[in-house]
Amino acid sequence: MKIYFESIKMHLKSALEYKKSFIIIFISQFLVFFSYYFVILALFSKFDNIKGFTVYEVLLTFSIIQLGFSIDEIFVRGFDRFDDLIITGNFDRLLVRPQSIIMQVLSSKIDIVKSSRIIQGIIILIIALINLNINWDIYKVITLTLMILSSIAIFFAIFVFMASYCFITVQGLEVRSLFTDGGKNMAKYPIGIFKKGFIFIFTFIIPYAFVNYYPLLYLLGRVDNKLYAFSPLVVFLFLIPALLSFKLGMKKYASTGS
Amino acid sequence: MKQYLSVFRIKFINNLQYRAAALAGIFTQVFFGLVFIMVYIAFYESNTGASTPMQLSQLISYLWLNQIFFVIVYIWIKDEELLSMIKNGNVAYELCRPVNFYFKWYFTIYGTRLSSLLLRFLPVLVMALLLPSPYNLSLPASWLSLLLFIVSIFIASLLVTAISMIFHIITFFTLDERGVLTLLMVIGEIFEGGVIPIVFFPKFLQVIAYMLPFRYICDIPFRIYSGNINIAGSLINIGLSIAWLILCFGIGIILSKRALKKAVIQGG
Repeated sequence: MKIYFESIKMHLKSALEYKKSFIIIFISQFLVFFSYYFVILALFSKFDNIKGFTVYEVLLTFSIIQLGFSIDEIFVRGFDRFDDLIITGNFDRLLVRPQSIIMQVLSSKIDIVKSSRIIQGIIILIIALINLNINWDIYKVITLTLMILSSIAIFFAIFVFMASYCFITVQGLEVRSLFTDGGKNMAKYPIGIFKKGFIFIFTFIIPYAFVNYYPLLYLLGRVDNKLYAFSPLVVFLFLIPALLSFKLGMKKYASTGS
Repeated sequence: MKQYLSVFRIKFINNLQYRAAALAGIFTQVFFGLVFIMVYIAFYESNTGASTPMQLSQLISYLWLNQIFFVIVYIWIKDEELLSMIKNGNVAYELCRPVNFYFKWYFTIYGTRLSSLLLRFLPVLVMALLLPSPYNLSLPASWLSLLLFIVSIFIASLLVTAISMIFHIITFFTLDERGVLTLLMVIGEIFEGGVIPIVFFPKFLQVIAYMLPFRYICDIPFRIYSGNINIAGSLINIGLSIAWLILCFGIGIILSKRALKKAVIQGG
């Protein structure tokens, strides 16, 4: 863990070497997702609800997903761009070092510049929370925290899954965008608005619904069952097969050469 | 002219090799199409009384056409080869060649886009047509609107490449493809109606959208197809899009001349 924090510091230092470029990219990264929010605001200027969810409820959902995704895109970038490590053969170097492989992959790439996306996510989250009438109690605070943590966990797991897929294919990660961008596009609305088949896939195969739908219902006071409050915990189970498949891939790993 | 067509042909054939990428692309486009449609259907179902600027079937056709012609209308496609050439100075070699810089790259980018389109559009089109109602792509409003649609989407494909060229050439002046270019592309994507049809915009943004060339890429062709714009309106808009196309060619060519004259070659 100490190594990881040390490498965060190093990556930050190297990014700050080019100050002007850092500032420009920092600002432009802030704007990249502007179009997503624009769609939501434009639609809600014509309609007042989507299956009973209001604009701030959708913004809350979306900002939680966006926050988790951004955090992973910065701090788990090593898994996100894992094919680079495999193609260049640099993965071999990690294998001979006396440190945990996962820690080393995590430390290999950290994209600090994208942290403006985190700030954006937090701002939207706060705006949404101020405008919603939530009867706060300790359970609801826990629910919200779990939602954010599980959002980080789900994208982490997907990144690791896609990385283990690299062991077999070396390259060819086009499907990745389907799970991350596609999933993100769905999960910006509460999963409950979709048709049954989609809800099933995104509950049991990729558990987005446990991040942004079931706990949301509790948070908004639509259901009283405490099970809903703790439902994001299910997402953490999703990490087990992800890490196992990575371990399995590593066993089968054959280097691409020099 | 011959050399530009052969650049186009090389890029075209080259890109046809990436069939696996195309397959993944098809899959992605169908998935995204369905997700967007479900969102809009959910909105329409929960607001039955609301006045909507577009009929649901017209809107769904719009969304499908956006997915089917994605590689043509998506403004966000960067040519990494050209950008890295500008940034690392290899563009100097380009200047030694006896071809026009602007047209060579215009046809390169156009070839890439067109070959990707040919690889992907048919399967998505067929699937979209065969889906059960209300998820399906409706047939065009009439034979005439189909014809006008084909004309307008062809002009759109030329226009999007011309705009894309301007964006790439701007990199000569800024030497940074993440900052300014990203900003321009966000603006372009929104005002072409790529993320949401322009008729759903708040009023003042609609006015801005109507003054920009971007809407002739997505908004106009797709609405012509479904009959959301009538025949007379279609003809006027096609005329306007040709005017914008000539203007964008002009700006691109002048900018590229200016850029190359002043170019400071990077690196050594």
